[in-house]
Amino acid sequence: MLEIKNLHANVDGREILKGLDLTLPTGEVHAIMGPNGSGKSTLAYVLAGKEDYEVTEGSITWNGKDLLDLDPSARAATGVFLAFQYPMEIPGVATMTFLRSAVNAVRKARGEDELSTPDFMRLVKEKAKGLKIDAEMLRRPLNVGFSGGEKKRNEILQMALLEPSLCVLDETDSGLDIDALRIVADGVNALRSKERSMLVITHYQRLLDYIVPDKVHVLSKGRVARSGGPELALELEKTGYAEFGGEATAA
Amino acid sequence: MDLSVQQFRSKAEQDYLDLYTKAEKALPGAGNPFVAALRADAIKAYGRLGLPHRRIEAWKYTDLRARIDEVHPLVTALGIPVSDEALEAALGSAIAAFPAYRIVIVEGELRVDLSDMSGLREAGVEVSSLSHLLEMPPEWLKAALGQVNPREDDAVLALNTALMTGGVALRLPEGLTLGKPIHLVHLDGTGEAASTFTRNVIAAEAGASATVLESYGSLGMTGLQRNAVTEIKIGDKAAINHIKIQREAPETIHLNVWLAALGADARYNGFQLSTGAALARNQVYVAFNGEGSSADISGACLGRDRQHCDTTLVVEHRVPACDSRELFKVVLDDEARGIFQGKVIVSPDAQKTDGKQMAQALLLSETAEFDSKPELEIFADDVVCGHGATSGQIDEDLLFYLESRGLPEPEARAMLIQAFVGEAFEVVDDEALREAFNAASAAWLGVEAG
Repeated sequence: MLEIKNLHANVDGREILKGLDLTLPTGEVHAIMGPNGSGKSTLAYVLAGKEDYEVTEGSITWNGKDLLDLDPSARAATGVFLAFQYPMEIPGVATMTFLRSAVNAVRKARGEDELSTPDFMRLVKEKAKGLKIDAEMLRRPLNVGFSGGEKKRNEILQMALLEPSLCVLDETDSGLDIDALRIVADGVNALRSKERSMLVITHYQRLLDYIVPDKVHVLSKGRVARSGGPELALELEKTGYAEFGGEATAA
Repeated sequence: MDLSVQQFRSKAEQDYLDLYTKAEKALPGAGNPFVAALRADAIKAYGRLGLPHRRIEAWKYTDLRARIDEVHPLVTALGIPVSDEALEAALGSAIAAFPAYRIVIVEGELRVDLSDMSGLREAGVEVSSLSHLLEMPPEWLKAALGQVNPREDDAVLALNTALMTGGVALRLPEGLTLGKPIHLVHLDGTGEAASTFTRNVIAAEAGASATVLESYGSLGMTGLQRNAVTEIKIGDKAAINHIKIQREAPETIHLNVWLAALGADARYNGFQLSTGAALARNQVYVAFNGEGSSADISGACLGRDRQHCDTTLVVEHRVPACDSRELFKVVLDDEARGIFQGKVIVSPDAQKTDGKQMAQALLLSETAEFDSKPELEIFADDVVCGHGATSGQIDEDLLFYLESRGLPEPEARAMLIQAFVGEAFEVVDDEALREAFNAASAAWLGVEAG
């Protein structure tokens, strides 16, 4: 279970999160919605442990473990995975090399044996297939020259390989056409399980047609302003974020 | 009134002259008028030039007069036993195991017992110890030695010509395609602190193609002063990959000159990786003498502590329609200093020249320093020439991305550094060599190769 209590966080000395409370039980999928600037992406980065996101107050625990004590790689080992809104391009690192280093680093940290090359190749092949990622894409440098859809599929592939228990998806729908969205959503849904919690951050309701959440939280000015069931997302689709400090136009 | 000017010489400058005077009669080829004249002219030129210092523009960042206090005696040790383990330790396992015709030169002496040249002569390559050939140089050597791309103004080269005592002469006959690379291994440092002057001469005749790897390593640690020159003549339609890896002991002073000249429709791929030595000055002079040729001179330098690594290139486009490319990557930690000077000269006739140059540095500490000095001297009007230089630190966003995937910070950092230098390795065609370079950069970083 993820428990966030009274979370305050600064970016460049400006307070973005202002006393956020959130509980995400194990096995559930919660959506985080909200207008631009409400603190959605900041929450994602704080959960993953980005250095320049400074937590000034409050706590985050994952299954009773204090996440704020851990550096980003230790958080990954403990089961936290952030699917980036803008995945990084790294020329000179082959995607396959990167995947293998990540999988083995996480396995090592979890006290498991590193995978042999054939075992790893088999695993990647199996997981990549459903995401329509071919061998050619895996040979390319990490995310370099990838389309928006390819980058997001690659994020979900990493998620599948690292077997996290807490998945944070930051605007995974941004920049995707409807076909790409469906592939990505299918990939995410395939990973839903009783042991795995997910926080799906999105500006638009559209994604939630495909990844149906157990609960929806609306962020406003760095706090959870309202929580409800999936119907809350549909309501926001009609009314927009006006009452939460966003523009009045429907999303 | 006596108007002669009393020239001041530093101790080291005088030491070099004394070294020559003492060794002159015993140097290889001393009895041959051609060689003797070559040496005499060279020491005279050196006497006039002295050791390069910072007031000479090309030596602005690498002041040899200030850096060399005294000159060690010439190497004398011969027939030193060298075990396979020592050779592997000096070169790194990947380079030691690199599949090639292997010619090993220890303290300037070509060591047949350590070399593996079987099949090289049968393939048609003329190969000889340079010392041996200097006693009675054949015509092809006379046409190459000191003639490939002569430089009047280079004291390091002049000293080498005056004192050259070892190295290899290779002649690749017309049309020969050599499937297996030639690996020239240079090992030193077995005895007392010493100076060594090796010279390799490679003559690739029309249409010949080959890969030549030069590796430089230390067997022990005794303040070696190395002066190594390679002259490489590339005939019409010939294609040569010329690669160097230098990983010498931390006390070493490594002075290296490559002189290359291309005929028409020829190709030259030069690449250098430097991780060793206290001071390394790598000079590459390339001249295009025939139309339609291309050259790619690239490399990487990894430095830490107080290492000083200087790469200085001069590419002369003397004829039309030639392309030159340079990409250098420099990684510096601690108080290391990296220098890149790239001069491209396009003469008035050299229309349709295409020249591009890039130097990039990754600084891992606040105290590391990178100096880049591109110089374009263009006297033709229909050319495409460009240069660029960047200097930066590790991108924290990329680092976070890797860490968020479970890679501990040191590993994530190493992966980014390897990716940075790895881009330069792409120019190397030979996959086994690229892997050896990746292994060398991983070893430098203290991680396993990815």
